Amino acid sequence: MRLFHTFTPLSQITRCAAVLAAVLPLSGCFWFDGPQSTFDPNGPVARHQMDVFYVTCWVALFIFVVVGSVLAYAMVKFRARGEGDLHAEPPEQGHGNPVVEMSLIGASVLALVVIAVPTLREIWYTYEVPVEEKANAYEVTATGYQWWFKFDYPAETAQTLDATAKAVGAPFSTANELVIPAGRPVHINLRTVDVIHSFWIPKLAGKVDMMPNRGNHLWVQADKPGYFWGQCAEFCGESHAVMRFRVIALGPREFNDWVNAQMAPAHRVAAAAAGAGAPKAQFAAYRTFSRNEAGFTEKFDRSPLDSWRAQQLPGKDEDPALIARGRELFSSKTCASCHTIRGDGYIGVVGPELTHVGARSTIAAGLLENNRDELHRWIHAPNEVKPGNTMWVKGYLANNIKLTLEDEDALVNYLESLK
Amino acid sequence: MEALAKTDFLAKDDLPEKPFVLWRPTAKTGLMSWLTTVDHKRIGFLYGISGLFFFIFGGIEALLIRIQLAVPNNTFLTSAQYSEMFTMHGTTMIFLVVMPIGAAFFNFIMPLQIGARDVAFPRLNAFSFWTFLVGAIIVNLGWFMKGGAPDAGWFGYAPLTTRTFSPTHAIDMWVMGLQLLGVASIAAALNFIVTIINLRAPGMTMMRLPVFTWMTLFTSFLIILSFPAITIALIEIMMDRLFGTNFFEVSNGGLPILWQHLFWIFGHPEVYILILPAMGIISEILPTFARKPLFGYPVVVFSGASIGFLGFGVWSHHMFTTGMGTTATAAFALMTMAIAVPTGVKIFNWIGTLWGGHLSMRTPMMFALGFLWMFMIGGLSGVMHAAAPADAQQHGSYFIVAHFHYVLIGGSLFALFAGIHYWFPLMFGRRVSEFWGKLAFWLVFVGFNVTFFPMHFLGLEGMPRRTFTYDANMGWNTGNFWSTVGAFILAIGVAVYFLTMIYTYFRGARTTRDPWDARTLEWSLPNPPPEYNFRVLPTVHARDDWWYEKRHTQEIAREAAEHARAEDAHGGIHMPFQSIYPFCASVGILIGAIGVAVVDPANPAQYPGFWGPKIAVTILGGAIMFVSVVLWSLEGNEGYHIHLNEDGSIKDDAGHAPAGH
Amino acid sequence: MSSTAAATLNHHHDPTTSTGIANKKLLMWAFLASDCMFFGCLISTHLIYRLHPPPGTPPAREVFSIELTSFSTFILLMSSLMMALAVNAIQKGNLKSLRWSLLTTIFFGCIFLGCQVYEFRNFVFEKHLTITNSILGTTFFTLTGTHGLHVLIGVIWLSGMLLYSFTGRLTEKDSIDVESMGLYWHFVDIVWIVIFTAVYLLEYI
Repeated sequence: MRLFHTFTPLSQITRCAAVLAAVLPLSGCFWFDGPQSTFDPNGPVARHQMDVFYVTCWVALFIFVVVGSVLAYAMVKFRARGEGDLHAEPPEQGHGNPVVEMSLIGASVLALVVIAVPTLREIWYTYEVPVEEKANAYEVTATGYQWWFKFDYPAETAQTLDATAKAVGAPFSTANELVIPAGRPVHINLRTVDVIHSFWIPKLAGKVDMMPNRGNHLWVQADKPGYFWGQCAEFCGESHAVMRFRVIALGPREFNDWVNAQMAPAHRVAAAAAGAGAPKAQFAAYRTFSRNEAGFTEKFDRSPLDSWRAQQLPGKDEDPALIARGRELFSSKTCASCHTIRGDGYIGVVGPELTHVGARSTIAAGLLENNRDELHRWIHAPNEVKPGNTMWVKGYLANNIKLTLEDEDALVNYLESLK
Repeated sequence: MEALAKTDFLAKDDLPEKPFVLWRPTAKTGLMSWLTTVDHKRIGFLYGISGLFFFIFGGIEALLIRIQLAVPNNTFLTSAQYSEMFTMHGTTMIFLVVMPIGAAFFNFIMPLQIGARDVAFPRLNAFSFWTFLVGAIIVNLGWFMKGGAPDAGWFGYAPLTTRTFSPTHAIDMWVMGLQLLGVASIAAALNFIVTIINLRAPGMTMMRLPVFTWMTLFTSFLIILSFPAITIALIEIMMDRLFGTNFFEVSNGGLPILWQHLFWIFGHPEVYILILPAMGIISEILPTFARKPLFGYPVVVFSGASIGFLGFGVWSHHMFTTGMGTTATAAFALMTMAIAVPTGVKIFNWIGTLWGGHLSMRTPMMFALGFLWMFMIGGLSGVMHAAAPADAQQHGSYFIVAHFHYVLIGGSLFALFAGIHYWFPLMFGRRVSEFWGKLAFWLVFVGFNVTFFPMHFLGLEGMPRRTFTYDANMGWNTGNFWSTVGAFILAIGVAVYFLTMIYTYFRGARTTRDPWDARTLEWSLPNPPPEYNFRVLPTVHARDDWWYEKRHTQEIAREAAEHARAEDAHGGIHMPFQSIYPFCASVGILIGAIGVAVVDPANPAQYPGFWGPKIAVTILGGAIMFVSVVLWSLEGNEGYHIHLNEDGSIKDDAGHAPAGH
Repeated sequence: MSSTAAATLNHHHDPTTSTGIANKKLLMWAFLASDCMFFGCLISTHLIYRLHPPPGTPPAREVFSIELTSFSTFILLMSSLMMALAVNAIQKGNLKSLRWSLLTTIFFGCIFLGCQVYEFRNFVFEKHLTITNSILGTTFFTLTGTHGLHVLIGVIWLSGMLLYSFTGRLTEKDSIDVESMGLYWHFVDIVWIVIFTAVYLLEYI
């Protein structure tokens, strides 16, 4: 007890050491260009937001250093030294100093003005596409579902069949991977069909919520082609943490090619090789996964945009018989009541549209890399991947869907063929 | 001397014989004495113990959260369990820990600081506590039920909390529990307001009130003015869930944004409800250990008032990402920056208090200085959120988590720890070991920073809050790992702190009156304070009145003798009778709340129309409450007189003679 | 303070408190401040939804019957008058006058409640406006129902006080109890004026 009363230099040293120990390991080893880092803006909106952040950050640091130094000085200078000092006559009983008070209030107001000016400017800038760029803006609509995102392209028209099997033109939609033109402002309408979600692509822009009965919007612009991570940022239920998505920005020509490919109906593998023999017993080759296991390979992470591009190419080793069986199972196992596959006559609207699912780099709302193993993992036990998801609760459980390994294999082959 | 007697105890001529139900309990020890107590110190103690009990729960929930997030793709908790953990961690820490521990100090310390013998409505005070306990039970009932604990986040955004998306009773319990906690808080706050305004000792003008009492007053006003907003929000969601109304039913035109507005109109003042008491405690401790008065007392008081006032105009900064539009966003951003000014002023004044003092570095002072540093960080990151465009990136991320833990742990909790340590000798007459106190401080301080400082970076690295898992490639591994390590250091520190307190409570060294050489009236009492508090009601001469009294002993002794004679002539010290009915009323509320929140609606085939077990249980509870309230008002607010011996003990013969013979 | 009351207690100054305001009165004022926020939030909810009516909401004008509501508003106002008389009576220690005034206040309160019950039944069964079938019904019934509940609590409190006055224990010294009850009753009345304006009259502008 005495040890702490006597204020040895030891306690000062321990204090400094403790503070350093707290701060050092933290500042040194952070990786500031993670896939969702706000320190690495790739577009004007995120850049302006980061600029405001730096203004606030420097002002706050400045205040902290100045006030902190005064406080630290006071703590050292005026501390009682030894027992004698403690029982000495108390210091002068001063009650305050109005001049000091008023000037400190003035100084804080001044510091706040420094923050307020850029804040106000950027509130207006980040809210809406600048007027002179409006004509050039590309429009898409993002809709939140528990727990995935749907993207509509109202500017593009694709051929599809309506409920009476009549061919009509309709804006095409895709899911979980938003492909946008780089170098152009993109105006994103934000909608939700159930609870509140929040749409966040940290490298392109701060988040805006998707509110029921409220038409929100967000604008972004990618400086150059790139592959960006996004995630739902408002708690939306059991699988909120795994409600992710990707944004792929492409140059004008590549974007056009992509749009054209998307508007085409589902890709069909030529049936020429049909009857080439019994389906290969591939199903045994699928690997198993533990719960919450990461859904990505390192190869994918190294160059995600190239991985995405590779995914656009037609598949190899396709087995038309297996694919045909998968197409049939897609209907008989009630998948089609929720999912649309244009060209194959499936027009469900509850779940993600799958016409070109094979050409996406991810599945299960940006959670898993799009390859056979992961796809098998997903349709084999959706609840393991995304607890409480609709496909599991209202599909598999409600309709008592049982899939054999052969069924799963056929479905995987079918879906992977949808380039 | 008329001013010394309370109306409540004025004699009623020839009282008629009382029926049995209006018999007043007199137990001074044992269970009955606690169930029927109206002593503000005992009630304060009950609040404190319950707060600390739930602190263990909230802490374990936090540790489970941190274990789950220690490494990427962890499977320690399922997603559903994780949602329950963070929802209950938030709800528990805010409503069941920081608020009741604050209320414990309001109850125990505030009447002593203003020189009162009790609060204005002792039985209402007991009712507040029991109802708080009922609310806490209802909120936690889900752990023992099939539907699980509440899992929609502590601000329960509709429509996630509607029956469509949360069909189990978990949310019903959350709604009902918060509703009752609100009732309890409002009742308690009304009591404190009347007490502070009306029961001040002679000479205790408003501008002589200790700052902690001022902050109690502001907090109480914030409670009575902000809780109605959440009451309405909870009524609306409860009507939606029970009766199928359309407040938040999207398909019938409900606007979920309304929930957010109502919630945060409550929620932001709530933040100040949590921090103002802390600021009050700090404003008591710093002058005591610097051995000089608070620097700029009027400015500190006024800044407290402006924080409370402006606190009602900044709620939408919790909603910068809801697409409010530019003008509203700008207005709330500016208001939020404005509220930083009075907050900064307080920091300046606290430093001014230290300046030129003789700082004695005892454990309470260590926590208070820790508070200053940590609150400065939390406050400055708060200003950073006011910049709405930057907040668009930070909102809902771990940056926010870091910010509010700096304010709520580094701010509120550090101050509460400081307060517990500071007032412990007064409350229990025992002195806490400086060695173990300082050890606990350093463990808490280091653990806290290691836990929460990395979270700033995690947030800026794009990690959203309320996520039960994350991938290894996001750059979040190091930060999360350290954060978990820190959480365990923090837990050890907290354990050391409380084990020390428990040890001291039973075995600690006895201490003398006023061990810290403090400045305010509560320290003029022997420790622990007797049930009647003041042997003689003090007459206040100065702002730090005990400091004044210690330097004018003869004058004070003369005055005290005069007052004692006058009071004795008046019949002695008036004490309120104990009562069981506040407790009974709360039991009725508990039963009724279980009826509303937990019992399943009837099967229509079995019970036609409205009837069924649900309504039966609800009505039963309501009836018990109603009868208790009626008996409560019939038994009246009488009390009895006590006379004291020279040494302050109560003369036996005058024990329980009814007041007003 | 009236000159006739010189010999009686001073009802506007309580010497035992720091401010001279009786504790119970202060408690009631603070509670009413809280209740103001309570009704403020409810009325705001109604007005917000009034500005954002979903398609298919029936026009409130076709549902409301302004004549009936005006009548019940008038009755409630009159009950406030009787309440004031009751407070005056107890301050003079006139128990008989107190009982009559309380009884009339209760009677008027019951008429108001009766009108409300009639109105609700009429809306539900004749106008087909229920608490679940439209947002107007939801906010209207919740707001006016909550107010009705306040009136009901007031009526029960008044009745309790009336019964208590027969025990012989209610004296002039307890006038603060009647007075704080009166504050509550006046507040409920004033809130109704606001509701009447914001919910009913607003539809007729």
